[in-house]
Amino acid sequence: MDVLGEGLLEAVRLLLTGAEDTWAITGLTLRVSLAATLIAFLLGVPAGAALALGRFRGRRVLLAVANTGMGMPPVVVGLFVTVLLWRGGPLGALGLLYTPTAMVVAQAAIATPVVVALTATALQQVDPDFLPQMRGLGATRARALGALLREARLPLLAAGMAGFGAVVSEVGAAQMVGGNLAGETRVLTTAAVLATSRGQFALAIAFGLVLLAIAFTVNLVVTLAQQRHAVRR
Amino acid sequence: MNIGCRDLTVTVGGRVLVRVPELDVAAGETLAVLGPNGSGKSTLLRAIAHLGSARRTGTVLLDGRPAGTTDLRRAVAAVLQRPVLQRASVFDNAAAGLRLRGVSRAEARRRAWPWLAALGVEHLAGRDARGLSGGEAQRVAIARALAVAPGVLLLDEPFTGLDATTRADLLADLRAALDGQPAAVLLVTHDREEARALARRTALLVGGELRQLGTTDEVLDAPADLECASLLGFTTQLPPAVTGREATLIARPQHCRPLAAGEPAPAEAVVVDGVLRRVVPLGGAIRLDVEVPGASVTSVTTVEVDAAPGDVVRIAINAGDLRSANGERLR
Repeated sequence: MDVLGEGLLEAVRLLLTGAEDTWAITGLTLRVSLAATLIAFLLGVPAGAALALGRFRGRRVLLAVANTGMGMPPVVVGLFVTVLLWRGGPLGALGLLYTPTAMVVAQAAIATPVVVALTATALQQVDPDFLPQMRGLGATRARALGALLREARLPLLAAGMAGFGAVVSEVGAAQMVGGNLAGETRVLTTAAVLATSRGQFALAIAFGLVLLAIAFTVNLVVTLAQQRHAVRR
Repeated sequence: MNIGCRDLTVTVGGRVLVRVPELDVAAGETLAVLGPNGSGKSTLLRAIAHLGSARRTGTVLLDGRPAGTTDLRRAVAAVLQRPVLQRASVFDNAAAGLRLRGVSRAEARRRAWPWLAALGVEHLAGRDARGLSGGEAQRVAIARALAVAPGVLLLDEPFTGLDATTRADLLADLRAALDGQPAAVLLVTHDREEARALARRTALLVGGELRQLGTTDEVLDAPADLECASLLGFTTQLPPAVTGREATLIARPQHCRPLAAGEPAPAEAVVVDGVLRRVVPLGGAIRLDVEVPGASVTSVTTVEVDAAPGDVVRIAINAGDLRSANGERLR
């Protein structure tokens, strides 16, 4: 109980005093996870839409692959990205290993299947006559698709939130491709792991609380945005 | 604007669902495509509008000229069978057709408002469209289509699933809304009364093929053959062997009257004897299924019938209510 209590107090102190490390780590966590989520969204929504609406051979297999990818262990993704970016690896010349960019790549790889699978589900749940009806009102293909995405905006935002939740909380890939270098690639999860391994439980709990606060704040903002257009029934 | 099609064929999985050599709807005219479930009515409507992914061949004409998908998008507004509304207010839904055509929100709302009023749903403008009843939603869907001032309006069974009162009200409001409109209106329906109420001409579609085309009264009252007759409600069909006439005679059940015991046959009437097989109360009327060898006889009457299944009954049909199977009235 002492450890928990001290952890909470330490967290409050860290946040109130704005210890430079904490803010730097928090800032990097946000930058990496939001960038990875944005990339996953930009890649995942069109891919999910193609899987939901397209008629091509192998569509169902790809859907199954995306669904499987939702449960991909971050450590496995981290391993593949590490091998790719390793000095002697295919992309080793880029010199990205142990940089925030490598962490963004790995986390985007984790979040993209989540966004793809949830986007496909979101669009398939819209009335199948939605697109024909929009086209039947005179919409171009692009406008009809835009209307469909607007119609599914709530589950699409949920897909984004799920993607963000998957990456902000993962530790395996961030540790492997980032290396947890102080001041360079240390994020809240890897910092919490390190603090725990050193027996600095209060510090670890503090990082954990900050992580929770971030997750809550981001989800709160998105949820409020989701509900902004709610109209009276 | 006129719309039409030539040699329009729709194929799904190698099976021809619709084959229509020629169909035209003039500007300001309402044409009903009438047919039973599964006859290809909705498929035809979607093919004419180039909607959906079914394989189609043939030509759609706008004002006599072959039209591509882009031309049809500009000209056509469609109301599908189920009202598909967006997750938005009723007002924004009514304006959605215009918005999808690139009109600004304010302008779209300004132009949509009179149609919400015409369809009697302006008081719902601020409501979430997802909370509407079926009838209200269909009214909004129709207002949305009319708001774009389409050259061609396609209505796919817009009254399906509505209760009788709502349907009658909407029918009247739609009739009023269409009056004076320059649009060519194609109404797909399985309901004869809807066709009679809204369309001057009717095409009868059976098994994906046009079987009859003419004024609505002609098509509904003078079926071209026995199959059309059955679909148009002529459930009593009397072959020559039963009546001694040259052609098979047909009649609607409400024109087949059971005669009371000892009641003389009316002059100018055809009378057949048969065995009563089934009596079905219809709420205010009763339906009698009568077995006559080689014929089918159904009567719907409000007269009290003093007969039970198994009894022999006499059914009289006035000559004026009989048609020959090729649609001609008896002389």
